[in-house]
Amino acid sequence: MEKLLFFVYSIGILIRIYLSFSDFSTSIADRVEVSTPLNSWKRVIEGVSLYNENINPYDGDLFHETPLALVFFSHLTSTLSDFYVSLVFIACDLITAFVLYYTSKIYTENLLKQQTKTKHVYNKKSKLLIPDDFSVINPFYVCSVYMLNPYTVFSCIARTTTVFNNLFLALCLYSMVKRHRLLGCLSLVLASLPTFYTFGLLAPLMISCASNDSKNKTGSFIITFLTCGTISCSLLYLCYTIMNEWTFLDSVYGFILNVRDLKPNIGLFWYFFTEMFEHFRALFVCAFQLNASVLYVIPLSIRLRHDPLLLATSLLSLTAVFKSYPSIGDVGFYLSLLPIHRHLFYFMQQAFIVSCFFVGCTVFAPTVWHLWIYSRSANANFYFGVTLAFATTQIFLITDLLFAYIKREFALKHGMKRMINGKKARLMLD
Amino acid sequence: MNVKCIGFLFVFIGQAYSESYNEELFIKPLATGYVYSFFQFTIIREDDSFKHSTLFPHSLGDIIDRFHVSELDVDLTSGLWRHKSWGYPAVDAPSGAEISARFHNDTQDVDQHWYGLTNALSGLLCTSLNFINSANSYESSAHRVYRYSNLPRENVCTENLTPWKKLLPCDSTRGLSSFLNSGRVHNANYHSLGIHFRPLCNAGKCKYELRLTVSLVYDSVFISFNNNYDWSLRKMFGTGLFMTCPLADYSKIYLDTSSNISVPYSISQEPDYFLKKNIAVYNLNGIFHLSAIVSRPKIVVSELRPLLYTDRFITGFGQEYGGLVTRIYNDHRSPITATVIENIPWFLPIYYHTLKVTSNGIRVTPKGLIYKPGKGRVRIYYLEIVLELAPRSVTEISVQFDYVFLKWQEYPPDANHGFYIGSAIVKATIPRHATSLTFDKSLIVDNINSTGSDYLICLKTENFIITLPTPDFSMPYNVICLACTVVALAFGPIHNITTKRLKLTTAKYVPGLASIAQKLYVLLKNIIWNRNKNNKRKAAKVKVFAHEELSYHPRLGHVSEEFMKDKVDCIK
Repeated sequence: MEKLLFFVYSIGILIRIYLSFSDFSTSIADRVEVSTPLNSWKRVIEGVSLYNENINPYDGDLFHETPLALVFFSHLTSTLSDFYVSLVFIACDLITAFVLYYTSKIYTENLLKQQTKTKHVYNKKSKLLIPDDFSVINPFYVCSVYMLNPYTVFSCIARTTTVFNNLFLALCLYSMVKRHRLLGCLSLVLASLPTFYTFGLLAPLMISCASNDSKNKTGSFIITFLTCGTISCSLLYLCYTIMNEWTFLDSVYGFILNVRDLKPNIGLFWYFFTEMFEHFRALFVCAFQLNASVLYVIPLSIRLRHDPLLLATSLLSLTAVFKSYPSIGDVGFYLSLLPIHRHLFYFMQQAFIVSCFFVGCTVFAPTVWHLWIYSRSANANFYFGVTLAFATTQIFLITDLLFAYIKREFALKHGMKRMINGKKARLMLD
Repeated sequence: MNVKCIGFLFVFIGQAYSESYNEELFIKPLATGYVYSFFQFTIIREDDSFKHSTLFPHSLGDIIDRFHVSELDVDLTSGLWRHKSWGYPAVDAPSGAEISARFHNDTQDVDQHWYGLTNALSGLLCTSLNFINSANSYESSAHRVYRYSNLPRENVCTENLTPWKKLLPCDSTRGLSSFLNSGRVHNANYHSLGIHFRPLCNAGKCKYELRLTVSLVYDSVFISFNNNYDWSLRKMFGTGLFMTCPLADYSKIYLDTSSNISVPYSISQEPDYFLKKNIAVYNLNGIFHLSAIVSRPKIVVSELRPLLYTDRFITGFGQEYGGLVTRIYNDHRSPITATVIENIPWFLPIYYHTLKVTSNGIRVTPKGLIYKPGKGRVRIYYLEIVLELAPRSVTEISVQFDYVFLKWQEYPPDANHGFYIGSAIVKATIPRHATSLTFDKSLIVDNINSTGSDYLICLKTENFIITLPTPDFSMPYNVICLACTVVALAFGPIHNITTKRLKLTTAKYVPGLASIAQKLYVLLKNIIWNRNKNNKRKAAKVKVFAHEELSYHPRLGHVSEEFMKDKVDCIK
């Protein structure tokens, strides 16, 4: 297995290095699906060069990273040449894959441990039992999906800042399964400062940290919450000291929340707010942002409280669908989390349709984009159609996963046979 | 007799307010058979309050007073001035409307005065200057009280000419302004109306100068009917001059005969005198006509090129990424220092880090650079570059931009026609040259006589049109419905998962509409059966078991207690 893992790793690295230094890298970086106004490297460079010229980059309309990121990237680009900057991005992707590998390993081992405690109850041949080899195979799958998935590969080659974001998210997930509060809070804040939406992961983090001490759960919740709050406040203050003014708040969060840039991406916002009637705009902005950020956090946290990692996965995937500037880097990240939940796959029903649609949308999106923007034989509706299909597919995937979880939960309690009094029965939600 | 008396009276009052008025027309045959005529009506007054005036237009004076304007330039232009073949015009104005103003130094709320001024002028001149807002005007980097804006989309037509003529003391009935018939003016290849107001201060004493100008360029082949290069006042303006304006101190026509060397022509009237050898001067006092017969109506040799001219275009294809290139040609044998001001609207966001200045293909660093990034719907991208143009060189300024996707209501009618992008401004001090005409003094005669070696020119580059990608304008309802449906697709199942519990049921699964039909059927049946009291048959009910009532049997699945009892009975 180690050899296979090494093999996958080296292939992942080779692909990344080859594409990064080929001519494809610029055309990939220019793709709207890969680079959004929030994560594109071109805009980072723009911000850094304005910053170096002593012009406030937040006066303009192009730069939307936090001041912390601004200083970091300014140092990065001034000390390293273009070649090494690419290598930094590749290295970050590697670390993310590693962290996800260990996250998956620890999580599956924990699952197996829990299972052995209650093993005597189950039928030995039951399909519900998690086989022991899952703790070896799952991490391998997670790692290889992250290394070889074209979504993450493209995101890395285009040098989107999503790469760093994914690294922090992976660290956050790792500290969830490790129940390490400080690291979790720090990485969560670092991940959600520039992108805002991922702060919903606070819920699974609080739950997993609280499961450490069973006595005082409320206390643990409050401590986690306060830690995150303190870290984010101090980081925001640090940002303030860098810029000496608060205008960056509007340029970062105002930009994310008000959807000022209507450039197409794989999300739902762009065409919706292009075609929006001006007097309804505020209402729909609020509705869509609530839907993307907080709507599902509390109900899902209550329902999935026994499995914080699944909660985190579903929240991440929901925000990747519904946030205002999603990119395929986000999609690639949550896709690579799916193999962690391989024990649920038995109950999933729509894998075939979903995978077909994923492939279809990935092919169609650039095609209709070219038809619309370059040959001008199509119009915006074509691209909008593809993004709708893509969003629907992802939603099918997420709901299928969640249904699989509750079906498995049901089957664990009530057995696999769906019969009542010898007659065939079916499951229904009531 | 009567008219003369009144005229005399006006002149008298005019002198009481110390106002003077002059009418001048400058005609210059251009290369390639075009004829340039530049009208200038100059009013100079010494009083700084505009409450009472005889010659100075009262409506304009009010506006100047009210909004604390100390300098004002308005140009309404249609057509493109071709610097490369025509040389420099008297007043360089880009196509569309252009307005710039300097307010008194002690003005507090400059922006408010600026919007007030543009609104007032839009009423005065029947233009769309009221569309000027913070998103298409800029404040000069050097002066707090200076504002500039241009509206390249503005269509200049008769409705602007008529109110403009009303500002003249003699209206359009007498004097040189009787040449300005709207039918003829708008037949020109290039026409530009201007209002230029400025103070002329000398040792603490100020005069105020108002120049009302019209530039017209006619194609002499087009107006001559018999396919030659002959031109005359009547052919150009449709009429000769019958009467001069009695309020004017003098009325003069200047004819630049310098092109007579390359394209000889004979003039119908002998000039009164010559200025600087080749400028023929005609003093007007009554009926006047002028025509020229060009003796060699063949291909005309192009004149000397001007020392400095520009080119501007966009690069790239598709509607995603593009580049903006401004080229400045220096044909002089020594270096020239030039300032280039680009004001790019917010819907064309430029990337500062892609700014590249090259001179003959070699990258150079500009001498000075000011960049103010724009902001969506609020502020333009302002770029000011000071360059030293190498002798006989082409300097190229290129910058990349993104095509922005606007909200559907922000597109103008006929969205696929495109968006007009205003011109860049190039300012430079260049040495006097054969093609040069200086117009820094009040009167044309003074300008012709002036003897400076260097003078300031202000070039305006071409405008261009850019077509931004458009949404489908007929889609708003569909898009709202579809996008909300997708959101609901997630909300429904997640709501179910988080609020409901899984249960087993033996009820048959009936999809969608059929289930509603079945429920209705059952309901109706119940009502009918209940009416018939004798019949006590009940509608079949499907039992949903709570899991607490069931026990699990490895072979039979979930079983209820009743069922087990029955089973046991059977076995017994």
